[in-house]
Amino acid sequence: MLRASKQQEKSVDIKRSWNLLIFSIGGERLAVRTDDIGGIAHWTDSIAVPSRTPFVQAMLRREKELMPVYDLAARLNRTLVGDPLLCLVAKHLDGLMAICIDGDMPSLHTIDAGALQFSTRADIETIGSFNDGDGEIPVVALQTLGGSSASHNGHATGL
Amino acid sequence: MSLRGHHRTESTHEQGISFLVVRLGKTRLALPADGVRGVLTPAEAGVGDSIKAVGITYQHLDLVGFLMISADFDTADTRVVLYSNGRSHAAVRVEQVFGLTEVEPVQCIPLPAHFRADERTWFSGMILHGEGLALIVNPTWLLGEVAEVVSMTPGGMLR
Repeated sequence: MLRASKQQEKSVDIKRSWNLLIFSIGGERLAVRTDDIGGIAHWTDSIAVPSRTPFVQAMLRREKELMPVYDLAARLNRTLVGDPLLCLVAKHLDGLMAICIDGDMPSLHTIDAGALQFSTRADIETIGSFNDGDGEIPVVALQTLGGSSASHNGHATGL
Repeated sequence: MSLRGHHRTESTHEQGISFLVVRLGKTRLALPADGVRGVLTPAEAGVGDSIKAVGITYQHLDLVGFLMISADFDTADTRVVLYSNGRSHAAVRVEQVFGLTEVEPVQCIPLPAHFRADERTWFSGMILHGEGLALIVNPTWLLGEVAEVVSMTPGGMLR
């Protein structure tokens, strides 16, 4: 009988559980996969950009680094709370993207893959949702939040 | 008419690109300098739908309206920029003129792919400017809008 290598056993373990970051926007709890995050930092003032792309109307500058801002609070019709606010850097398919979130420090959470349920949210792109005992928390699909240039150009994406 | 300041960000062997950086509301715009024909004070520009300078008629272009920016033109810094490609001629009112800035081509940053609508036509990229950034106005779009205005005004040339 062949024994699975340690590497194979480890990859099976990874697929059994998901590492999530739970944060809030206007008090509403949301989760994202930690693999989809490029970092968390204090929020700094963004720079307005005239734009007709929904919810993408500003840029964030950190020294010489520039990234677009996705206004998730506006999309969810929420008012951010906390001072200072935080910046969640998303690994979007089109490149890094900044999202302003509440000032409450996010928390890490690990769930079994089996705990992920189908999300009924129609107002935001999600991978699924889970219940942590305090309510259902949608897992936001950061990579494709707001769409991507590939899907915009008519290419199919596996969502 | 006068231009304030001329800033060169780096000395280099390669030919730089010059922009006239102006402000509308909170937005800084970088106009390719080779199209700038002059900068007038409101008193020099006078009133009316167009300005005549050196035998050429520059049609007023409401950039604030196109870009849906809020601007206050009742300040001492307000100027009118005369812009032309030799065929179309525009007069653009701005809140402030920062002056000429020269950058290397590599310092012109493309608009991120997250911006997917009309702004990709308005702007051909951006440059870092001061603590923020300036959006590079696409002169083909800018002067194309002037041609639209001229064709729609009584007595204007038909396209």
